[in-house]
Amino acid sequence: MNDPIPIPLPKLGRLYRKAALNAVRSRLSSGGSLKALPDRPLLTEHPGITEEQAEQYRLLLEGEPFDGTHRQALPSVLLHIAGFPVQMALLSRSDFPLPLVGMVHLSNQVTHHHPVPARTPVQILARVENFAPHRRGTQVDLVLEMYPAGIDIQQTGSADLLYTSTSCYLGLGTYLYAKTESTSGPREEFTPPQKTGLWTLGADVGRRYASISGDFNPLHLSGLAGKALGQKGAIVHGMYLAARMLEGREPEGAGHRWSISFEAPVTLPGKVAFCAAPGVNKTQHFVGWNPRTGRRHFTGELNIP
Amino acid sequence: MAATPRDAVIIGGNRIPFARAHGAYANASNQDMLTSALKGLVARFGLQGEQLGAVAAGAVLKHSKNFNLVRESALGTPLDPRTPAYDVQMACATGTEAIGSLANKIKLGQVDSAIGGGVDSISDAPIVVSDALRAILMEATRAKSTGQRLRALAKIRPGHLAPRAPGTGEPRTGLSMGEHMAITADKWGITRQEQDELAVASHRNLAAAYQDGFFDDLISPFNGLSADNNMRADSSLEKLTKLSPVFGKDLGANATMTAANSTPLTDGASAVLLGSEEWADAHDLPKLANFVDYEHSAVDFVDGAEGLLMAPTYAAARMLQRNGLTFEDFEYFEIHEAFASTVLAQMKAWESEDFCRTTLGLDRPLGSIDRSRLNVNGSSLAAGHPFAATGGRIVATLAKLLHGKPGKLGFISVCAAGGQGITAIIEGR
Repeated sequence: MNDPIPIPLPKLGRLYRKAALNAVRSRLSSGGSLKALPDRPLLTEHPGITEEQAEQYRLLLEGEPFDGTHRQALPSVLLHIAGFPVQMALLSRSDFPLPLVGMVHLSNQVTHHHPVPARTPVQILARVENFAPHRRGTQVDLVLEMYPAGIDIQQTGSADLLYTSTSCYLGLGTYLYAKTESTSGPREEFTPPQKTGLWTLGADVGRRYASISGDFNPLHLSGLAGKALGQKGAIVHGMYLAARMLEGREPEGAGHRWSISFEAPVTLPGKVAFCAAPGVNKTQHFVGWNPRTGRRHFTGELNIP
Repeated sequence: MAATPRDAVIIGGNRIPFARAHGAYANASNQDMLTSALKGLVARFGLQGEQLGAVAAGAVLKHSKNFNLVRESALGTPLDPRTPAYDVQMACATGTEAIGSLANKIKLGQVDSAIGGGVDSISDAPIVVSDALRAILMEATRAKSTGQRLRALAKIRPGHLAPRAPGTGEPRTGLSMGEHMAITADKWGITRQEQDELAVASHRNLAAAYQDGFFDDLISPFNGLSADNNMRADSSLEKLTKLSPVFGKDLGANATMTAANSTPLTDGASAVLLGSEEWADAHDLPKLANFVDYEHSAVDFVDGAEGLLMAPTYAAARMLQRNGLTFEDFEYFEIHEAFASTVLAQMKAWESEDFCRTTLGLDRPLGSIDRSRLNVNGSSLAAGHPFAATGGRIVATLAKLLHGKPGKLGFISVCAAGGQGITAIIEGR
């Protein structure tokens, strides 16, 4: 691993303003190039998720309280939220070749090695890897790793790794590779299974998740902004869907792996039909879809050790 | 059957007619209705000034001001004010649970007499402020200075002011009870025709029972109503087949549940008088039947491992095994019609070799239930279902049906929200 660049915990507001400026600039310059990729990870110290943040999160998800006795391990999505500003800082660096506005979250894979309680300082490392062509632009993996505070991560082994998250993003419309004809076949037919749940998402879910996560992407905040950015209205954060999918199912002792792949975005307010199905080898499979149109919103799975 | 120290005798019942929500009882509160049902029972059995062992009842939807609903209702009757009373709540199993636990107290000699029952009102449902507004108001209450109070109140936003009504959705799945039942009905292959036939039978049986005067000593008029106003004596298959499905619409052609084969939201109250044999004799009261035994169960419905309303199938298996009984031993069956498909799915499960062996762990299926013995005087599809009041309606009806048939048995099954269920055995005398 190249030497990480230590940075203070980034402020998301500043990053969004910079992203807006970059968006204007990229109109003029038509994006970056593959020649100069950010090859050094960013490393930041995080003071830990506060109890207040955890409480706001659980009120949004209507989950069980973090009482400090029976539930203290933070859910995976809250750890992702802790790492999100570092990811954003990486994406807004001038050597990052894809414009931040227009980045679409395609999928996320998490291995949650050890439990992390609230108010536990951690070190967060963010790096990019696996740039690859995509029929609608260029895709890239953003990797987040979390380590206990105070250790030298250059010297440490994987045993200290608390949490790894790989977020696959698509830089929509930015082709860093020769534009290729679609290699994937026709879209997979989806027949909705029997639903086991129905999520009713209010118009304010995007704003509430934003206030917890700091992800104030205007796409999630208001119908007008959503429409201006090419959606039918405000759309829900992908990680909110992951949070709903996992709520009440993550083990307190961690050690679990999960993944989610996003398809049609969920417009707010809206309803998501949900199915949780047991699978083999302690793996549960999930799927969410639009109960009216039958379009699939996401698929996911959770493996508990 | 399992031996108990002494019998718990069902002496009689009283209920007010059940009314479709937002109709005849739109201005009646839970306390008004329960008090009326209790007063009718007191009058019918001459209990004025009597100190009973206990009054236990409940409501599923309850205002916070009704924290002592049953005690307040009992104080509004001519019963001796020294009669203790308490609230019970187990969703739609509330009434049966109240009566069953009182029967146990009588069997154990803890009390000699008791009234069990329940009440519910959709028309007077507790509408509350949002969690966010409540949090702000509480913060303002805790404030130590005017400044602090104003700062708290300044957080109120227009969106906080929308009132919240209780929903029929299961909190952990977001699906309404009807949607849950539609999934189970589909799984068990319950047809539209079967459901409509059951609904028609419910209305016709209830109407015939009224015609025969069966309810004359089980119901007291209330607010201008003397019979359940959901009842359609002229209900017919032709009429019912015209209705469109209201639940499970995403099942397409397999959507079978309509407004007619699903129970409507209803207001009402019921009460049942229980006592020991000695107490009944000493007060020269009738002894309709014995409350023999009852059983609870709960299923893992959250991720769909079992249907939300299938818990009574498990309770029945345990209860019948414990008492060494099979369905062939029963004269009458009262299976609460939350939906027609609930009754049909439970019966199919009890007939299923695979379900009874693999899931219930029995040697053989519990067997089929003779339709001519099922809900013979109508059930919830026709009478309506004021959640907590249904148990009292069923126990009183079944006890009267079994009266004069000593040793003949009646079976009760009631499903409840949260994947729970309750079953009971009553024996005629």
